[in-house]
Amino acid sequence: MTDLLRGLLVRLRAILHPRAADQDLDDEIRFHLDQETARYLAQGLSDDEARRRAMVAFGGVQQTRETHREVRGSRLVEEVIGDARFAFRALGRSPGLASAAVVTLALGVGAITAIFSAVNAVMLRPLPFAEPERLVMLWEESAEREWVRVSASPANFLDWREQVSGLEAAAAYAEFNDRITLLDEKGPQLLSSALVTGDFFDVLGVRAQVGRGFRAEETWRRASPVVVLSDRAWRTKFGGDPGVVGRMVDLDGRRVEVIGVMAAGFAFPWEDVDAWRPFDWNVDAGNHASFRRAHWLRVIGRLAPGVTIEQAGQQLATVAGRLREQYPETNATLGAGMTPLREFLVGDTRKPLLILLGAVTLLLLISCANVGNLLLVQAGNRAREVSVRLALGAGRMRLVRQAVTESLVLSFLGGAAGLLVGALGTRLLAAMLPAGILRVSDFGMDWRVLAFVLLIVTVSGLLFGMAPALWNAGRQPAEALREGGRSGGQGQRSRRWGSALVVAEVALALLLTVGAGLLVRSFIELRRVDPGFEPDGVVTVSLVLPEARYDSAPKIHAFYDQLVERVSALPGISDAAVVRQLPLGRPSWSSGFAVAGRPVTAASQAVDVVHREISPEYFRTLRVPLLRGRQFTRADGQGSEPVVIINEALARAQFRGQDPVGQRVSYDREPDSTSNWYTIVGVVGSEHQQSPAQAPLMEIFSPLHQESMRGMVLVARTTGDPATAAPAIHRIVADLDPTLAIRSTQTLNEVAARSVALQRFLMTLLVAFAAVGATLAVVGVYGVLAQVVRQRTREMGIRIALGAGTGDVQWLVVRHGLVLAAVGLAIGAAVALVATRAVRGILYGVPAADPITFAVAASLLGLTVLAASWLPARRASRADPAVALRSE
Amino acid sequence: MPPRPTADVVRGTLDLLVLRTLALQPMHGWGISQRIEQVSRGLLDVNQGSLYPALQRLEQKGWIASRWQVTENNRRAKYYELTSLGRRSLGIETAEWRRYVATVELILGGAS
Repeated sequence: MTDLLRGLLVRLRAILHPRAADQDLDDEIRFHLDQETARYLAQGLSDDEARRRAMVAFGGVQQTRETHREVRGSRLVEEVIGDARFAFRALGRSPGLASAAVVTLALGVGAITAIFSAVNAVMLRPLPFAEPERLVMLWEESAEREWVRVSASPANFLDWREQVSGLEAAAAYAEFNDRITLLDEKGPQLLSSALVTGDFFDVLGVRAQVGRGFRAEETWRRASPVVVLSDRAWRTKFGGDPGVVGRMVDLDGRRVEVIGVMAAGFAFPWEDVDAWRPFDWNVDAGNHASFRRAHWLRVIGRLAPGVTIEQAGQQLATVAGRLREQYPETNATLGAGMTPLREFLVGDTRKPLLILLGAVTLLLLISCANVGNLLLVQAGNRAREVSVRLALGAGRMRLVRQAVTESLVLSFLGGAAGLLVGALGTRLLAAMLPAGILRVSDFGMDWRVLAFVLLIVTVSGLLFGMAPALWNAGRQPAEALREGGRSGGQGQRSRRWGSALVVAEVALALLLTVGAGLLVRSFIELRRVDPGFEPDGVVTVSLVLPEARYDSAPKIHAFYDQLVERVSALPGISDAAVVRQLPLGRPSWSSGFAVAGRPVTAASQAVDVVHREISPEYFRTLRVPLLRGRQFTRADGQGSEPVVIINEALARAQFRGQDPVGQRVSYDREPDSTSNWYTIVGVVGSEHQQSPAQAPLMEIFSPLHQESMRGMVLVARTTGDPATAAPAIHRIVADLDPTLAIRSTQTLNEVAARSVALQRFLMTLLVAFAAVGATLAVVGVYGVLAQVVRQRTREMGIRIALGAGTGDVQWLVVRHGLVLAAVGLAIGAAVALVATRAVRGILYGVPAADPITFAVAASLLGLTVLAASWLPARRASRADPAVALRSE
Repeated sequence: MPPRPTADVVRGTLDLLVLRTLALQPMHGWGISQRIEQVSRGLLDVNQGSLYPALQRLEQKGWIASRWQVTENNRRAKYYELTSLGRRSLGIETAEWRRYVATVELILGGAS
């Protein structure tokens, strides 16, 4: 082994110190020749003769040196260095061209670097957990209810954990962010907390940096509540004091012991998590029907060593089948499944990211084509040099290598600049990215990004270097000399290459423009959707009342009644109300639904409705129209008849041809003897609960005064600027309860904008990429036409001399540009018809093959090409016949 | 005139001869060339110069090592010696060569 290593060192030294190796060899040869000469002298030969014989016996000294160098591998290195040096000199001779190429490449490489950084952070970088490949996400599903990957009920989760032997362990977390109020000397602050099982940290394989994580038994209710802090919360709210462990803090009015701080960088299940708390379930909770009925747990399993996800998945399906028979009342339609945790977390972001990656790849290809074109022009200008070298016997391979080295040098310069652009772009991207869309907020560069950039830089260097290289190599010296003899001459072949590149550029640019256009159209359609309410002028303030001090319905109702009353009385506020959840936000809770007097069937059991609690003024405040019946009033309270209002979507789907008002319905649990029945008193227009792209769900509203929800959102319609109303509302909240923390304040328009933030983000990026791509393509067209005009100056001059009009000559050039554009557009359109299928999934209200978008994109590009042809055309028409003819 | 073997055979044989020579004792390039000339009795029509690239090749493989030393006549010369890897390789190569020669012999013997 050491011998091999030593051999390697010898090789390395020979390459790194070629001169020392040469010196060594020369010394050796001199010694050899001296010895040999001495031998001949000893045989009695004369000095000269002895030396001559020695030389003959040795063979060629120079040849030995060459062969020695070849063995050492330094000849190749020397040539490559020579090529690179030559390339730098050549680029230095045409700084304009070099910088144009570098800037073009920097744009292409920078864009792809930034997007790839995001792809890397979300899809490639390993999850920050121990052995993440063994982690899986488990979920429930129901074909009948159209449930896909829904969260699990606690009882089902516990059964899975017991019975699926392929799982080494399984933990769960609540899928909702449980906002809790931390009260200390700095006043009330709201923490984002996750409810988890006691073995949550163990299953993920993460440790506390101070103190400890939870123990498995802490899932269940105990005398003293505990909390674990995230590194972020520990630093920002507790000053990074290690002494915080063991301290009692006031959380939601309860004394809770801080037992640990998790390591920095661990932010799961969401980025802004401040604290984790155990579920605190009652041991006898399993007896409650809701423990199996309500679905709100995300379940993470760790596969046992050697068990595949397919095996564990089959076991899970078997267990789910058993539970279906065991608990028909709750599980009749339920199945279960699992997927790798990463796959689940990447989820919906995969498609947008891949679309962006596709777009920047197109952009990079356009930049490559453009640089290829520039190099072709340069090759044309150097035709004479090349032909002389060819005629003098330079090897063709040598010329190809020379050209490729030149383009590699160029692409590495461009790549370095692109890395800078990419670093900036990554920041820009992080700043532009709507919060909560990607799982990670930090997508800095790492070795994967650098390796990727190195790869694409090399590939693009080879790509755009190939055209001029092959063109040069394929030339016959005679042809080359003939052409080179003419001033600025460039052959037909070169022009064909250039035209092909430009056609490709136009086609790629059309692809990008069509993609961007489709997203723009889709976004316009989205913004046109009537959300079912009037968001203008409405300000919203989210609140959570701590359980410890608001432990009964009357206390909660009293607080919200006063809040609504005092906010309504503020000047500049016309209406105010509270609602459990804003429309166009995250989907609300859903449950089964039944109508009194109708038989329970499989179909009726599969119906899912969402439900929200509201104060009576809600519909008036948001301007949701009342279609039938009445609104809630203060009289709809505890002790009076339970009432609900349904939305139009529900009325239409479940009460076709009937008057729903007066009918009695049940929801939130399966209908049985103990069901609560509610009388429908009104029908209102449907709001889009999730996003404008998703049709309104069937929904039931119940009066806050017949329920008791601690977390509500105040909505207030202002007559002026909604943002200015916020401070006055905050003062009222502080006045009502100074220990309350406000969760968030935003206008309803901001909420609405957020529901289409991803679409806006994608659209903005694609439009930017398309603009850059189109610009590059047009520059490419211009470059080729300018070259054509330069080459044909003589022809133009003759035409003018023979009486051709300015218009004729201009048309000649413009026609050339138009032909290129038309071919490019035709190819691009054909490809786009297929390629736009990739974006079909994210379009709203626009078909992927939308003829309007195609037409607009094509004519926009066509017109810009026309404009780009104009300048060279004008120059051509100004060709002075005398000058043109004399120049030959 | 002695038969002229093809270049590939020469190269393989040369490597083998160098290793064989160095198996006896460390030696400088000239010494090796003298030794090979004696042993092969001029059968191999090889330039002495082609020895040096071969030495470099063997050193890069880690089969031989070199160092500068002073000769009896007080001159600096580069001495080569067999490494343990080279010794093992010599055994293997020799066996290979014998098998090769035997095979060729077999074919030729069958033909005549």
